[in-house]
Amino acid sequence: MTLTNYIQAYNEAVFETDKPAALAVVNQALRDGLSPEDVVFKLVIPAVESMMERIEKDQDSNLAQHFMTAQIAADVTEKMLEKFSSPPEIIGKVVIGAASGDLHSLGKRIVSGCLKSLMVKVIDLGINVGAEQFVEAAVANDAQVIAISAMMVHTATGENGSIKVRALLKQRGLEDRIKLAVGGAPYRFDPALFRKVGADAWAPDGVTAAKVIVRLINEAKT
Amino acid sequence: MTPLQILDAAVTGSAAPRIPIFCNLFDQGAREMNLHPKAYFADGACVAEAQLRMQKRYGYDNVWSLQYVGKEAELLGCKKILFADDGVPNVADFVIGNWDDIGTFEVPSDITQHPAWQSVADCLAILRDEVGATRPICAYVTASTTLPAILMGMDKWMELFLLGPTDLRDELLRKCADFVQQHLAALRAAGANVLVYSTPFGSPYFVSKKIIANTVMPWMQKDLSRGGVADVVYYCGMAPFNEVIDPVFAQLGIRSHYISPLADLAEAKRIINSRGLTCGVIDDIKMIHWSAEETRAEVRRIIDIGKPGGHFLFGNGVMPMAVPEANIRAMLDAAFEFGQLS
Repeated sequence: MTLTNYIQAYNEAVFETDKPAALAVVNQALRDGLSPEDVVFKLVIPAVESMMERIEKDQDSNLAQHFMTAQIAADVTEKMLEKFSSPPEIIGKVVIGAASGDLHSLGKRIVSGCLKSLMVKVIDLGINVGAEQFVEAAVANDAQVIAISAMMVHTATGENGSIKVRALLKQRGLEDRIKLAVGGAPYRFDPALFRKVGADAWAPDGVTAAKVIVRLINEAKT
Repeated sequence: MTPLQILDAAVTGSAAPRIPIFCNLFDQGAREMNLHPKAYFADGACVAEAQLRMQKRYGYDNVWSLQYVGKEAELLGCKKILFADDGVPNVADFVIGNWDDIGTFEVPSDITQHPAWQSVADCLAILRDEVGATRPICAYVTASTTLPAILMGMDKWMELFLLGPTDLRDELLRKCADFVQQHLAALRAAGANVLVYSTPFGSPYFVSKKIIANTVMPWMQKDLSRGGVADVVYYCGMAPFNEVIDPVFAQLGIRSHYISPLADLAEAKRIINSRGLTCGVIDDIKMIHWSAEETRAEVRRIIDIGKPGGHFLFGNGVMPMAVPEANIRAMLDAAFEFGQLS
């Protein structure tokens, strides 16, 4: 089986939300001689990137597929990392959480799962996170991106969410160093909303959000 | 004609002076009564009073008995709701913390005896007495396949639903379906005459059509197996579901469909045609920043698509508190103007 075949078979299984089939592909790859490093860098990461492209183009992809993409990739990566001969180099750091007053955690879980498999260090602050907490954690961890999930209109647009994080970043002169990404249902219904809450970017789903965050990490680094 | 007769005419395709016009105002009620949301929602009489006042002021057709979605979680044991000054209440205490809790999780044998039901009963009693003979009284029921999301959190439910042991998943779904059946019956008995069946897992935006057909559909059939579906509206929490309208007709018999603003309304109307009611829904999140003119133009666009051939209702989603009152008025003025049929 070639690497392309592995990636294709893995992604078909993920798209069918069939975790056992996806894990079977990974196990077959290991049996065929791929190292844990190869599984992550040559199979999982290209597969997640390919899934990002597919989901971006396929408006009919569903939440279950996004969840499984993240869940399986994160699980496989975590298992493989334990077997790495040396710790891998991370490409950046993101502080993530649900906005103040918001108790929904699915969105950030999908984003976090994809980011971890892409070698991004994720500092997960949980749910109902205050604006100050986001900024403090980003500074303390030297993160390039703050990612805020908001599933309700008032937590997306309220004064204690992204709007306040933007104000704090500006006040502390951190806007060049730390970028702000948002996501969640309200942004899907109004794709221009992210600008009104002071964010640098948004994504319509958790998998695409990971791609957007990686882009912001690279922008913040330059 | 009364608003209830206008609604019936739209469903059956008989003559009426205009299309039905629904407006869903929930959290605005606390502002109307000048109360904090927690105090407001605790008092069913207050909720009914606010619903009647807002209906009278704006003139739309329906009133709502829904207090907040977390009410269902409270009926199932949730002890804490996070109330916000500027938005919808949030479930802050998950009844099911981990999979082991599913075995001991129990549905009350009679939810109408639960203390959390009292405010619902009080609200519906007033609405039924005041407008029950003339207006649609809407109530909200979460489907069994979605209910676990407010009992254990969406991510844990998604994990169990997709990856967990099917016997455990089905044990939870059986309990949730029992609750849904009870809930529907209790709401009907209390006077609700339009039951909005909220079933996000019945949308291909949430899970694949294959999973809907094999797993979700049988549970929806169980949810709706008693009391008929003539008063039931299919709603996927604002997610699109055009692709499953046909199976919903064929396997559930539901004729009224609350179409997502993200879906192709013209396509939905073509699929439903004269078999039932197409509800054209405005994107009220965009109404936060639209002008009154933009709101009016969008109402006209929606009604222009849906009105020809009848069998059409205009409505909104869950009007955010941040929508300016001028836009609510503009929406309703336009709906009454463009929704005339004779």
